[in-house]
Amino acid sequence: MGYRRLDLLVFGLSVSILWGTVFSDLILSKVDRRVDLRSQIVRITSTLKVENDGTNVVSEVLLAFPDDQAKHLAYLAATPNEGGKGKAKDFKTSSSLPVELVVHPKHDMPPALTFYSVSLPKGLAKGDTFTFELLAVFTHALQPFPEKISQAEIQLLVFQDSAYFLSPYAVRAQSLTVKLPDARIESYTRLDNTKIHGSEIKYGSYENLPPFSYSPIVVHFENKQPFAVAQELVREIEISHWGNVQVTEHYNLNHGGAQIKGEFSRLDYQARPHVRGASAFRHLVAKLPPRARSVYYRDEIGNISTSHLWGDSRKTELEIEPRYPLFGGWRTSFTIGYGLPLQDFLFQSKGKRFLNFTFGSPINDVVIDTLIVKVVLPEGSGDVSVSTPFPVKQSQETKVSHLDIVGRPVVVLEKTNVVPEHNQYFQVYYKFNSLAMLREPFMLISGFFFLFVAGIVYMHADMSISKSSASYLAKLQWDEVQAAVQQVENIISRCLTIHDKLEASLRDLSRTGDIQASKAARKAADGSLKELTKELKPLLAFLQSSQQASQILPKVEDLIVKEKDLQERLLAKHSTVVDCYEKKYGGKEIENRIAQHQQKINALTQEVDDLLDFIAET
Amino acid sequence: MKAPKPIASPVPEAWYPTLSVIMLAIGLVVTASFFIYEATSSRRNRSLAKELTTGAVASVFLGFGSLFLLLSSGVYV
Repeated sequence: MGYRRLDLLVFGLSVSILWGTVFSDLILSKVDRRVDLRSQIVRITSTLKVENDGTNVVSEVLLAFPDDQAKHLAYLAATPNEGGKGKAKDFKTSSSLPVELVVHPKHDMPPALTFYSVSLPKGLAKGDTFTFELLAVFTHALQPFPEKISQAEIQLLVFQDSAYFLSPYAVRAQSLTVKLPDARIESYTRLDNTKIHGSEIKYGSYENLPPFSYSPIVVHFENKQPFAVAQELVREIEISHWGNVQVTEHYNLNHGGAQIKGEFSRLDYQARPHVRGASAFRHLVAKLPPRARSVYYRDEIGNISTSHLWGDSRKTELEIEPRYPLFGGWRTSFTIGYGLPLQDFLFQSKGKRFLNFTFGSPINDVVIDTLIVKVVLPEGSGDVSVSTPFPVKQSQETKVSHLDIVGRPVVVLEKTNVVPEHNQYFQVYYKFNSLAMLREPFMLISGFFFLFVAGIVYMHADMSISKSSASYLAKLQWDEVQAAVQQVENIISRCLTIHDKLEASLRDLSRTGDIQASKAARKAADGSLKELTKELKPLLAFLQSSQQASQILPKVEDLIVKEKDLQERLLAKHSTVVDCYEKKYGGKEIENRIAQHQQKINALTQEVDDLLDFIAET
Repeated sequence: MKAPKPIASPVPEAWYPTLSVIMLAIGLVVTASFFIYEATSSRRNRSLAKELTTGAVASVFLGFGSLFLLLSSGVYV
C-alpha cells in the first residue's frame, strides 16, 4: 500500500512538472467534488465551472482519470447546471451532455491517464463560462483492509483519490468533500485545510493549482454494509402476445467485501447477529414493477421459502433472504421470476412493435460484473433492432420454447460493470404479424387432429397377418353381414319416417279438410316406399345366401314382414280416411271405420320397434 | 408524432378460464361422438368424410380449449 501511494505521488509530481502548460486555453474557475462512500459503490459528483481564457472557441472539455481508477469506472454522465446548486440532479434526463472516451489522446498527453471528453452545448468564446455537473460511478474502488476478518470483526475499507482535481487544465479554486457512513474513521490523510465534521471530511479550498496537480489522499474507515456483487446476472425477458412479459433472473451473487477467516459459528451469529456478523447479508430487496404476478424465488434444489412480497399501485417489493447468511467471499446463486402485464411494456408505433423495459437489476445497490439481458421475442417476429441509452454488446440467438416450430428470435445484450445508474429503459423494436399468434393454437390443434387421424387409420386398417385363414374370412363375411343388416335397419327407419309423414298428412286433413294435399302426400309416400322395397330385395337375398347371417336372418325377415304389414295397414287406413272425407262422413263414423286398423297399427309399430332394438344390439 | 399505443392480448385475460372450460367441454362432447361413431358403425358403412370432419371440429375445440387452459394456469406460450 505504502509503495503504491508513493508511486502515485511520484507520478503526480512528474506529470505536473512535465505537462504544466499544455492546455492553457481553458481554465476551471471552480471545482466542487463530493465523494459518497456510504455504500459499496463510489459516487463522485462534481460541479465544474469552465472558463475560456484563450482566444479560440472551445466546444469540448477533457476529463482525466488515472488508468487504475478508469478501469473501475462504471458510469459517467454530465448535465448542464442551470443555477440551483446542491439540488438532486437527475442524470438520466435527455438534457445530459454527450460524454465520449478519447481513444487516441494526443501524443503529448501524459501516459497512464484515460481521457473522456464532454461536448458543450455551444462553443465557449473568450471569457465565457459554463457550469456543468459530472457524475462518475466506480465499482470495486473500495479495498477492504485488512482483506480478511473474522466473524466478530468489523469491515474496514480504504479509499484512495487525489485531494486535487486531476485535470489537464489549471484549476483556480477547488474543494473536496468525502461523505462516509456514520461509523468510526480509522485514519485519513491530513493536508492543509483539512476539516472533519462528523462523518464528512472536507479538503480545501485550494487555489491556483497548475494542470495535472495530484496529491493522493487515503481514507480508512468502517463500513458494515454487505457488498452485493453479482458476478453474473442473466435476465431473460420473454414476450407472449397472449398478455404476459415473463422475466426470469438468474443471479450468481457473492459478498465482495472483506473475506471471512477462521470458522463461522452459527450459534454466535444467531445470538448476536449485529455483533457477530455485522457485515453479513441478511436480505436483499428487489423493487419490481407494479402489477407483478406469479413471483417466485428458487435455486437448483427448489423453492426458497424465506421471502416476502408486498406491493401497491406504484411498485411491488420482493424481500429475499439467501438460504444462509452470506459472509465476505461467500457466494450463492438463485433465480427470481415474475410475470408482468403486457400492456405496460409493449407498444405499437409506426407499424412496429417495441418493448420498453429497464436494463439493470431490480435489486437495490447491487453491482453486476457481467449482465446479460436476453429478450425472447415471439416466434414469427422479424426485423429486430435495439435502442439502448449506453453502448452494449449485441448478438442474436434462437430459443425453442413451448409449442415452437422454428424457435424464437432472442436478442442478447451484454454489458460489464453495471451499477443501479444503468437502470434505464431500453427498447427492442420488431415486426410481428398478428396472425402469427395463431401458431401456438395451430400446433395444439394439429396435435389433437393427428390423434383423431391415428384413430381413423386404426379403425380402417386391416391388421391381420394371414389373409387366407378361416377365421379371417369369417370375420370379413361377418363384417359384410353387419353392413347389410345396418343397411336394412336404415331402410326400415326411413320407411318409418314415411309412415310418420302419412300420419301427419291425415292430421292435416282433419284440420283443414284439404283432400288434394292428402292425396299428393299419399302419392309421394307410395313412390318412396316402392323404392325402398326395391332396395331391400338384394340385401335380403344376400343375407339369405350368407351362412354367417343364419342367426340373425329370422329376425330380419320377421322385421321386414312386420314392416310390410304395418305399411299395408297404414295405407289402408289412409285410403279409408280420405275416402270418408270425400263422402263427407262424420268424425264418429270415420273413427269407427279405422278403429280396427288403428289397433293393428299400434301393435305392429311396437313389434317393429322391438325388433329394431334387438337387431341393433347384436 | 403519435404516442405509442400499448398492446394487450386480443382476448381479455379474465375470460381465459371460462373460455377454456366451455371449449374443452364442447371438444370432449364432439370427441365422444367421434368415438361412438367409430365403435358402432360397421367398417363398410363408415364415411371417411364424416369421421374427418368430426375429428377436425373436435380438435379445433380441444386445441383452443387447451391453449386457454395453459394461459389461465400461467403458462404463457
